[in-house]
Formats: sequence, C-alpha cells, structure tokens
Amino acid sequence: MTFTGLSSRAPAHPGAVTRFLHRHEGWRGHLLLAPTLILMTVAILAPLGMTLIMSTWFVQGYDVIKSPGLGNYTAMVENPMFRVLIWRTLTIALTCTLITVFLVYPVAYYLAFHTGRHKAIWLLVITLPFWTSYLLRVFAWRVVLGHEGVINSGLMSLGFISEPISALLYSQTAVTIVLAHSWAAFAVVPIFVSLEKINRSYLEAAADLGDSPARRFWRITLPLSLPGIVAAFVMMFVPTMGEYITPIMVGGPDSMMIGNLVQTMFGPMNNWPAGAALAVVMMLTIALAGLVFVVLNKLVQR
Amino acid sequence: MDVIDQLGAMREGKLSRSAFNRSLLAMGITTALVPLLPRKALAAPEDQATFFTWGGYNTPELFEEYIAKHGEEPRYATYGSAEEAMNKLRSGFVPDVVHPCISDVPRWSGTGMFQPIDTSRLSNWPSMLPELWNRDYNVVGDEVWLAPFNWGQTSIAYRTDLFELQGEESWDMLWDERYSGRIGMLAGGGDAWWCAAIKAGVPFEQLDTDEAFEKISAVLRAQRPLVRVYTDDTTQTDTALAAGELVATMAWNSTVVWLAEAGNPVKFAQPKEGALTYVCGMMLLADAPKLDRAYDIIDSLISKSASVVNIGWGYGGVHRNSFDDFTDEQLAARTLSRNPAEIINAGHFGVPQTAEWEQRMTATWEQIKLGF
Repeated sequence: MTFTGLSSRAPAHPGAVTRFLHRHEGWRGHLLLAPTLILMTVAILAPLGMTLIMSTWFVQGYDVIKSPGLGNYTAMVENPMFRVLIWRTLTIALTCTLITVFLVYPVAYYLAFHTGRHKAIWLLVITLPFWTSYLLRVFAWRVVLGHEGVINSGLMSLGFISEPISALLYSQTAVTIVLAHSWAAFAVVPIFVSLEKINRSYLEAAADLGDSPARRFWRITLPLSLPGIVAAFVMMFVPTMGEYITPIMVGGPDSMMIGNLVQTMFGPMNNWPAGAALAVVMMLTIALAGLVFVVLNKLVQR
Repeated sequence: MDVIDQLGAMREGKLSRSAFNRSLLAMGITTALVPLLPRKALAAPEDQATFFTWGGYNTPELFEEYIAKHGEEPRYATYGSAEEAMNKLRSGFVPDVVHPCISDVPRWSGTGMFQPIDTSRLSNWPSMLPELWNRDYNVVGDEVWLAPFNWGQTSIAYRTDLFELQGEESWDMLWDERYSGRIGMLAGGGDAWWCAAIKAGVPFEQLDTDEAFEKISAVLRAQRPLVRVYTDDTTQTDTALAAGELVATMAWNSTVVWLAEAGNPVKFAQPKEGALTYVCGMMLLADAPKLDRAYDIIDSLISKSASVVNIGWGYGGVHRNSFDDFTDEQLAARTLSRNPAEIINAGHFGVPQTAEWEQRMTATWEQIKLGF
C-alpha cells in the first residue's frame, strides 16, 4: 500500500522511502511484518510482562498489595496441590494427545494416499464436526456419556451391563475422551501434510526392489511422516494443557486441571497475583514440554 | 457487479485480483456496518440499564413494569456466585444494579462501589415485607443498601424413592456413605461452607476463628470422596437428580419445584439442625450509568408480578400481596410461608463477614474441592 501510494505521487522520481526500501531488503521484510509485530507487542508481550509483574504481588482482603516478592512462587513449592494438579494436567494432555495421534494417523494416511481427486471433499468431511461450536460438542458428549446417555442405555439394552457405568461421566476418562475428540482435526492436518509431501517414487522404488507393503511403510512412509507426527503432538498438547471448559463440563472433582485452578484464582478466589504466578509456571511447563518436542523433531530429522 | 457474475468469473478463472479484493472490501464494509442498521424503532439496547445477576434471573417475565415503561427489557449480565460477581465489578465492569445477598452488604458497601437506595423513588416499596430488609447494617437513615428480591433456604433436595431415610431429615444425608458417588454439592462457598458449618455445629457468630476453619474444613474434606459433582449449574444437578444419578444434593428451593412438576419423587428436606436461610436483592452501583432506569429495574423486581413469578419458581417473593395467588399447599411444597420470618428465623441466617474472612474461606474451599 505504502509503495503504490508513494510512487503514484511522484511517478518520475521515486521518493526517498521507496529508494531506501529498494536498497534494503531487510527493512522491506520488517515493514511487512510490522502490523503483526505491533499487534504481538501490544496484545501478547505487554500483557505477558504485566502477568510477570503481577505474579510478584499479593492480596489482602479485596486489595492488591503492590510490593514485589516471591511469595506466590514459594507457596507453589510448599503446597502439594500445585504439583498434583500440574502432574495430572500433563498426564491428561499427554494421554489424549497419544490416543488422538494414534487414531488419526490412519485417517491422514487414507486422506493422503487413497482419496485421489476428491481430497478436498474428504478433508472437508473430516473437519465437518468441527463446524459446530466447541462448547456444543463438549455438551453433546454429556449426552453420550451420561447416566442415561447413549452408551449406557445402549449397553444396558444389549444386556452387557445391568447398572449404568457411572465412571463414564464426571471422570478423568470423560475429560480424556472429550479432549481427544475435540482436538482431533488439529492432529489430522499436520500428519496429512507430511504424508502428502512424501515423494511417491521412493515408494515405487522400494516396491521395485522387492519390499513388502508393510516394510515399505516402516522404512519409508513412517520415518518421512515423523515431522508431521511431532507437529501434531505440539498442536494438540499445548492447547489441551490449558483446557478449562472440558473438565468443568464433563469432569468430576478428581479431574480438574491446572486451567481450572487459574480460573478459580482469577474468579471466585479473587487472587489475581497467585493466578498470574500459576499462569507463568504453566507457561514454563508448556515451554519445557515444547522444548522436548523440538529436540525430538531435530533427532527425527537427522 | 453482482455476486452471481463474480462467482461465474471465479469459476472460469477470470476474476481479476483487484476485482476480488474490491468485493472482499465491500463485504467487509457491509459486515462492519450491519450493527449500525436500525434494529428496532424503539430505544436501542444501549439505552437500557444493566442488571448484573445470577444466571436464570435474566428473563423478561420479571420485568413487566420495566418493559411497559421503556418498551424493552433491561440489559443483562450474569454470574454463578457472588464472589465471581464482586471480582468482575472490581476489575472494572460497571452495571447499574447487582444482585448479592443481604449478608454481603457490610462487606460490599465498604468497598465504596455502591450507593444506598432511596426507597421513596420506588413505587412498590410500601408493599415490601419489612422483615426482609430491616437489619441494622442494611439501613442508612431513610435509605437501604439492598432492596430484597428473593429469599429462601439452601437445603437438601433428595429422591424419596432412592434415598432411604434413617431417622429424621438431617445434613448427615449429604455425608451418607451408603450413597458414595451419588451426592451433589453446590460449588459456591457462600452455600457450601455455611451449610458445612451447620453440619459441624459451628455457630455463625464464631465462624471467624481458626478453630471454626479447622472444623468446617474437616467436615468438607470428609465429604469430598462421596461427592459426584460440585456445581452451581442447577440444570446439571436437576437432570442428574431426575435420572437418579444423584440421590441427594445441596440445592435451592427451585430444584424441587421443577422436578416435582415433572413428576419426580423429590423432596426438599427440612434438616433437623436447620437449613441455611438467605435474603438476596438489589444493590445500586455508585457509578450507575443509567440511574433513573436502574431505579425502574429495582421497582420492577419488587413489583407484585415479579414476586408471583419468583414464588412460581420456588423462591420467596417480597411483595406482600404476591402470596395471595398461591394456596397454602403450594407454598408448603416450596417450603415458603406467608410470613417469611417464620422460615428465615427457623433456619440459620447468614452473618456478615469481613473481606479477609471471605478470601480465606474461598481459598480454603476451592482447595478442598480440588482435593487438598
């Protein structure tokens, strides 16, 4: 926009800015990035800094006392609640990520190798359930898993069970199932993309040299799609770590995650500084997990 | 340039980039302008006062008088517990009228965020039952901090067919190990903590002691393994109770009315230790942006029609004539009475606490719910 604006004003002699930008490629890039960078600074970095600062304050009654200290962090070390919740959150997020990636791989495989011309339609069909609101989908699971829900009444009418399985809803199992379903589409796409990129002539070559389909898969397809699997892991693991609404809607007392505690601190507990400190710790935990994935990815690509 | 034409051009690959951008721009502008289109000939919703209330009271049935006067409902914002509401107010949300309970008054009015209500501006005030608002901490000369809207009990709703009663109805029902995993609890400390105090035998006057905290925490921790779900979402507990997934739950009056009307064998217990009783109502924000209409909200909520709706739901109304529309049986089924004092004084009525106590209680309670 700036370019055309400037040059149309002075068509014969390009303005100083235009000339400068012509000469410095780096600045051209920065200028293009500027809107995003400004937004990032204002909407992400600044609040992040505020969160960091706030996490050192504390609360007395309704008042926030703005004297810096590490009280919120030491409390997290002393109180076993935080460790248990962080551990539980990691377990749930990791379990549902593993399950989903495992289940979704064949789907992505089919999509990449067997759909031919209709790839776009298939992709659309797979993402179709995700056109409904997230909240609505979680709610629908309550109908499926509930006491008089589809699964329980189905099993009962078939005579497999005489009493509804109560552990289906309001449990960690429920949270894991719902999360696995909710984020599945985010796992399909990266795996699909990595499978799609695989050069088909490798597979033909392997076949020519006498590899069975199974060996072909283990020696070529799977290793080449590993970056996609790692990406799918990250795409699912990070958001599920921060989940808050799913445990509230389908979880019981023993399936609350760290996101719920953060909400409680900012909400009913009215202790923003402690909530901020917890958010910082959570961010560090996720960053650490992310680092593991990055290292894995590096190892895989070697 | 019409849409069909463009779609055709796109299909044939003839749509130039500039034409495409132009139509995108047009679409963007249209979308941005839609909210500016006149929606109703009447006042825009921005002109109405805002009522910040518990989820469920945001319904036009309660605002007959307001709608008659202004042609439209007030605006609503909702919360699940009083602490959540206070937290949102403190973070800068300025509605006109909020809906806490009367024992919150000293703590809330102390924040300087509220102004007393001039009762002479409320046409329905003379019909208000005085025993509901007449407490020393609620009255400032001729003015009140809180104008009552609903009163009732927090008690136990249970399935008479599934819960086998041993002796009298009692708070012990929610601690009955025979029904482990089939007991429900309200999630807000404003109910749970106080009821646990009754169960633990701690008088409300002594709540602010370390001993009281220890006793009540112990009782609530002991109960946790039995609890299937902690929630303030009454729909969730109501359906679970109807399905028999829960056999007993801490509840407000309305749960029983709704379930009984649907033909479920459900009863609202009168525990021998006494239920928790409350009076809730409207407080006026000091910076209420639409003060006149805020008074209309309050006046509408204390009118006879709103009171009747309220009693219909199962809560106590505040207009002295609103009880005439109900028979004694109907009131008894709701555990209400024409004389509110009868019910309120029979139970344990909330005693105002300090902000520090509230903070400590909530923090402890939230930890207990999480299992610590």
